[in-house]
Amino acid sequence: MNIPNNLGKCIVLASIMFWIIVSSEESSEPIFFFVVLSSIPIALVVSATILFTVCPFFWNGRHKNRTNVEIFKMYFPYYSIAIFSLCTIGIISSDFNIYETAFYVSAFFTTNFSWIWFAKEPLTYTYTQNSTTNEIQNKENIKNNPVSR
Amino acid sequence: MKHILLVIASLLFSVLFFEKSIGINLLIFSIITLIVLSVYHPQKAKQKENIVYSVVYLLSAIFVFIQDSSLSIFANCVAFFTLVGLFSDHKTSIYINWLNGVFTSIAGLLFIKVNHPEKKKHHQNIDLLHLTKLIVIPIVFVVIFILLYKNGNPLFEDMINKINFDFINIQWLLLTILGFYLFINISEPVQVEPATTKDLSLKNELFKSEKFSDEKLKKEKQLGTTLLSLLNLLIGFYLITDIISIQSLDISRASVLSAEVHKGINTLIASIIMAISIILYFFRGDLNFYKENRLLKYLTFLWIIFNVVLVALIFIKNQNYITAFGLTNKRIGVHIYISLVLIGLLTTFLKVVKTKNMVFLFRVNTQIAFCILIALSAINWDHTITNYNLNTAKSYDLNYLIELSDANAILLKEYSKQHTLDPKLNYKIDIKYADYLKKIEEKTWQELSFKEYKMSDTDKAL
Repeated sequence: MNIPNNLGKCIVLASIMFWIIVSSEESSEPIFFFVVLSSIPIALVVSATILFTVCPFFWNGRHKNRTNVEIFKMYFPYYSIAIFSLCTIGIISSDFNIYETAFYVSAFFTTNFSWIWFAKEPLTYTYTQNSTTNEIQNKENIKNNPVSR
Repeated sequence: MKHILLVIASLLFSVLFFEKSIGINLLIFSIITLIVLSVYHPQKAKQKENIVYSVVYLLSAIFVFIQDSSLSIFANCVAFFTLVGLFSDHKTSIYINWLNGVFTSIAGLLFIKVNHPEKKKHHQNIDLLHLTKLIVIPIVFVVIFILLYKNGNPLFEDMINKINFDFINIQWLLLTILGFYLFINISEPVQVEPATTKDLSLKNELFKSEKFSDEKLKKEKQLGTTLLSLLNLLIGFYLITDIISIQSLDISRASVLSAEVHKGINTLIASIIMAISIILYFFRGDLNFYKENRLLKYLTFLWIIFNVVLVALIFIKNQNYITAFGLTNKRIGVHIYISLVLIGLLTTFLKVVKTKNMVFLFRVNTQIAFCILIALSAINWDHTITNYNLNTAKSYDLNYLIELSDANAILLKEYSKQHTLDPKLNYKIDIKYADYLKKIEEKTWQELSFKEYKMSDTDKAL
């Protein structure tokens, strides 16, 4: 799992989405200083959210010798529904305040894209001592031809 | 060509919903959704279930237009997710349709991106350039010709100058992108796995297991018979005392009636949950196929009947309460809850008689709950409550009626004109009515509901 790469992309995506939505409100023109300054809390929040809510699924799945796509297929639907529900509640309870709406919308899409980027990472496997020759052969086949799955 | 439809749909999405409240726009959105689903899945759209649910979805949108209530909007959303889920697989249970429908609507495209990358690449290769041509070239030519014709005809120039594109801004464009994201998601419904496959593999019937043991079942039957006999005795005794207490109840005091109904409801909740759990426990497997289970079955049926009587008693108490002190949302809620409980008991009875499993119970009950939700959304409850209380109830709380939604503003205004009320109440009603009129006047065509379209000058001049 290339966590730094994923986090980097997510921070950029979250910052862009957040400021596009905020700047769409005519009254709040983004000031360059604030945009730069906001990257620090955005980076912290994005890193914490992904490390604590997305990565554990992949760490746990890898422990059970599952591929990233298998983990994605198994958990992503429920995760996205849960995060969508939380973000919707957040937006409604903020009475559609532009900053909170921007925060929740970017949080929803960033976490979803984080899943996609993890799932699309090239396949690498760690074999346990209990892995049978067939299992290893199957995984190697998948590794060499991922699209056929 | 299909992608053009999505672009048009997303533009309409913004026109309909940008800075707008709900009205006729939801009905138009529902029609667009049905067109998108039918164009992308012509074969699925012809399937019987999909036609039925499309009609239900359209009906729920019509109810939103006619009733303009929060319940009808909620019912329409549920119908939308059900329909989208149905297009992903029409043979699954309704709760799996909801799961697939919600997931497809919020992240279908992202899921396809990983799950079927070849599908997405195929789409991109074929459509992107073509799509750009289809949108950009006609727009460029239309603009050029408009500029040419403008100079040739003063009337045409005047008309063109009147077209106002001020509503288009960054937020409008963002909403259009969101609309496009929604429509592209629902154009390719996806399935949540392994939930969908598991649901498809589950049957409604129970089968005799390989561990079938007469001795073990005999003991279980003895336990069940003893337990249900005692519970039947207990509930029978409780019902007798309850009937006596209803007859001696002082219905002139709201607090007494209220306490009675609430106590009854709590008893009902506990009793029904216990009843269904015990029945499900004993009839979970092989006891259904045990030859000497007749007595246990009869006791179960008796217990279900006793619980139905308990439901009826609560219904009577609640109805007494309504007759004496008028309708409220909570009192209607109690009636709906009682009806759902009754249906739950009937389906449990069917489960035992027809040797069905728990999945059957869950499937049937959720399906019925969905039907009830759609049926209830056909009524504007705030209007109904006000109408009933003002015309039929023996006494009611006028302050409560004033706090309800604007659906009863005209009724209250008419009532205040015909009756002499407390000046404070009169003032509150006037304020409510004036606010209602102001809101209607500020509404654009997208936000209007049927009754607002039809609102006569007499209503406005009250």
